[in-house]
Amino acid sequence: MKSLKVFFTGLTLTVFSAGLFGQQSTVYISVLSTKLFVVGAANPETGLYYKKTGDTVWNHTGAKNIRAFGLAVHTPYKGSLICIASGNGVHRSTDGGATWRITTGWEITEVLSVVIDQSDPNFMLCTTPYGVHRTLDGGITWKECNNGIKEKFASSVVIDHENNKILYCGTEDGVYRSENMGESWQRTGLGVSGVRVVVQNPKDPNTLVAGTDDHGIYVTRNAGKYWEKTEAGLDHLTFYAIAYDPTNPQVLYAGGYVTGVYKSSDGGLSWTRKNEGLTNLNIHSLAVDPTNGSRVFVGTQWSGVFQSDNAGDTWRNIGLNGSQVWTISVQPF
Amino acid sequence: MKHTILVLLLIALSQQVGAQVPDRDAYLRGFEQRVSYVTSFYDTMQTAGYYQIAVRYAHNRDIARADKMFAELLREPRGDMFWMIPSIGAYLHGKDKMSAETRALVRNAWKTYAPYRGDTENHWCMYYSALYLAAEQWPNLPGSEWYNGKSSEENLREAKEYLIHWIKITTSIGQGEFDSPDYFPEYAMPMVLLSHFARDPEMKMRGTMMSDYIFADFATEHLDGQYIGGYSRIYQPAVYKPLLSGGSAFAWLYFGTGTPTNSGWIVIPALCDYRLPQIIYSIAVDRSSTIIEKERKRVRNVIRFGTEKNPPAYKYTYITKDYGIGSLQGGILQPIQQHTWGVRYTYGRPYTTIFGLHPYWSGYEVGMFFPEEVKTLIADVVASKGTYNNPDKWTGGSPFERTFQHRNTLLVLYDIQPGTTTEHIDGFFPRNLEERIVDPSGWIICKAGDTYVGWYPLQEYEWKEELESPANSLSDIGRPQLERVKETGNWRLRSHKRQNGYVIEVRSNDEIGSFEKFKAGLQKHIPKATLLPGKVSVHYKTLGGDAMQFAFPEKRVLNGKAIDLSKTRLFDGPFLSADVGSEKLTMTYKGKKRVLDFKAVTITE
Repeated sequence: MKSLKVFFTGLTLTVFSAGLFGQQSTVYISVLSTKLFVVGAANPETGLYYKKTGDTVWNHTGAKNIRAFGLAVHTPYKGSLICIASGNGVHRSTDGGATWRITTGWEITEVLSVVIDQSDPNFMLCTTPYGVHRTLDGGITWKECNNGIKEKFASSVVIDHENNKILYCGTEDGVYRSENMGESWQRTGLGVSGVRVVVQNPKDPNTLVAGTDDHGIYVTRNAGKYWEKTEAGLDHLTFYAIAYDPTNPQVLYAGGYVTGVYKSSDGGLSWTRKNEGLTNLNIHSLAVDPTNGSRVFVGTQWSGVFQSDNAGDTWRNIGLNGSQVWTISVQPF
Repeated sequence: MKHTILVLLLIALSQQVGAQVPDRDAYLRGFEQRVSYVTSFYDTMQTAGYYQIAVRYAHNRDIARADKMFAELLREPRGDMFWMIPSIGAYLHGKDKMSAETRALVRNAWKTYAPYRGDTENHWCMYYSALYLAAEQWPNLPGSEWYNGKSSEENLREAKEYLIHWIKITTSIGQGEFDSPDYFPEYAMPMVLLSHFARDPEMKMRGTMMSDYIFADFATEHLDGQYIGGYSRIYQPAVYKPLLSGGSAFAWLYFGTGTPTNSGWIVIPALCDYRLPQIIYSIAVDRSSTIIEKERKRVRNVIRFGTEKNPPAYKYTYITKDYGIGSLQGGILQPIQQHTWGVRYTYGRPYTTIFGLHPYWSGYEVGMFFPEEVKTLIADVVASKGTYNNPDKWTGGSPFERTFQHRNTLLVLYDIQPGTTTEHIDGFFPRNLEERIVDPSGWIICKAGDTYVGWYPLQEYEWKEELESPANSLSDIGRPQLERVKETGNWRLRSHKRQNGYVIEVRSNDEIGSFEKFKAGLQKHIPKATLLPGKVSVHYKTLGGDAMQFAFPEKRVLNGKAIDLSKTRLFDGPFLSADVGSEKLTMTYKGKKRVLDFKAVTITE
């Protein structure tokens, strides 16, 4: 077990008081755009939004028009440290969104995802069409980490929750694995094109699931050595989002291009469609509330966010209609 | 009114085509008249706008109104890099004249408004040029005083690094959004601003040199206000009405060609002290000799579905005093708005062009260049480029199209896969041609004043009258409001065969003697083609007697000798010379020389 660092390099940390851990939660979403996005035009507000349990409206924080693809929240500090992956780079706030700084320079652009090591908030990774970048000092400096990756377009990266030296990255030519914090990569047993998302089982670090463009969903139970295509119950092949229920890792949700939501209750062996009330089947993000596994959130392309309070049996729209919701994160505070 | 007529008359008299290039004094007089024409249009305009503000400050006229306009616009800044450039331009022209309150408002905007950096080269060029100038203006401020949380020094350093990077790759392997009639302003404006306002002498020099560079690039492929050749990007109205492009506004201001315009794009540059070197002006307007220009450019960043980040784009352009014909080698070289080839001429404004294309679109194409999801990208693109997935569109490249040009003869071949978004090819023939004869020999023979164009379709085709042009919807980001009219009377040649192609021959009256001789010549020169799936080729002997063999996609043979496009230099023509990797451009004109050395950051003459 790693120790938790209690400072951020070069920055002062403000720890917010939060509600009762395990009961209140906060949903963070990144809105990439609205339907009528035109660079340079008077685009409607987009970016990072959040909503705490009981809030009736979405709150916006950070820049308003930056092509926000991804987000990451540092859970142990209860939302004080938040990052946005955007067209402008990696934005970082250490005061819960009150102030922001773009940590990256001109070389890092169109950032598609960002992750923060939950045990070391100074260790972050971001993925871009040009590959993976890493910081070990909280964003003061970034290093390109693509050694071994053939097709650099990287959509998704995972830091192993038990050993932060181990990373997984979804690229245009499969899933790669690093055992040295990104210094070098080796392709795992999954070599299909268009890997869009990789997620790790919250309990078993050797089990991961990958969603792809046109090739369906794959599961590995041996840290990427072998991957099995999971097909039972799936009628679609393009998946942009996969989420585990943190309270029960046998339960997963998946969604993608006009798929609606699929649910698996057997660790990804078989799937069932769960679309009642979901008026837009074009899914780009999914997350399960860690304080309540029945509460699931879906981000759509251009119809905002939907919520289910019964583990996917029914859905209702909870706002931001017209938005492309690229990423969702639900935090236990 | 009398004044306006006089100015227009003087402007018309100052426009030159041909050998008699006005001397420096005459050029500068004409330039100042054009500056006066365009800026006077804005200095009394009452609606708020950054151009109106900049002119008022520069002319020291109605400063209070300019301040008020600035305050009005800064209540809710918008436009990202399209805000950054004109707003910093207006500020720099007026910072010593505006009120302290206005200066504070401008400063505050750079603290509170976070512009999107964009996803392409013109965005980054504008963003970082503006950020550089702003960071110079407000040094020593901490990150809390800037929208991005970075200090003045950090912003200055980052902007400088990007600009030097862009200059290096542009002068080494070619410009990315190259030779774009519609995106020329997005490069000219920031470079001219850097040239005028950068405090750092080296960055100021770089601004001057890159202004020279892009103007020289335009000048050598310029005719009568038009950019000639293949382009990386063009919007639909300007593709068949060339003088509508923003680049043509710059041609009018700096070359004195085309038609007088009050385009907003040229207002802030017009107020700057950058003056086109006489050698570039001469290159732009002297059409006493035929120009054959070969260039190597750079494909925009390929982020997936490719093996090379910036593959080469090769250009071939042939220009006389009456017309120009130019082409890119074909394939997908830029997303959405590529113009692979075209003939443009001096006759018959506004429809001064004939061209063809395979109207293609796909998630694959846009996925090569944009990071969003391939399956929904087309819908994203259509939000701003409404014609992208229109089967009748007039812009765009195709992976199933290739060209082979030698002098004023062009061969174009298509081998279109079944099931592609469109399985037809189109040709644009304007309504104002004096002749459009379908000759029994198979040639379509056109007369546009002293320019004669022959088009030999390799497959059967039909004529369709153009009924309507999709409107351009981008006026809200600062583009001039373009005409929205029914385009009746133009003609579309459409052929539905997937294995297809055509031969284009162009001659001027000076070159061939008469239209009748042109017709008679074409009747004796009939292409021989093989048009089978995976096996598309054409053999053709040009009017000039050269034997051209072309097999799709890349086999080009001229008089028995294979053409190797990879040997193309950055610039290779009578006026411009540059080698790949050189970071240097040499301009020559009638014994005069100007060398831009970007490594040394020097200009020598």
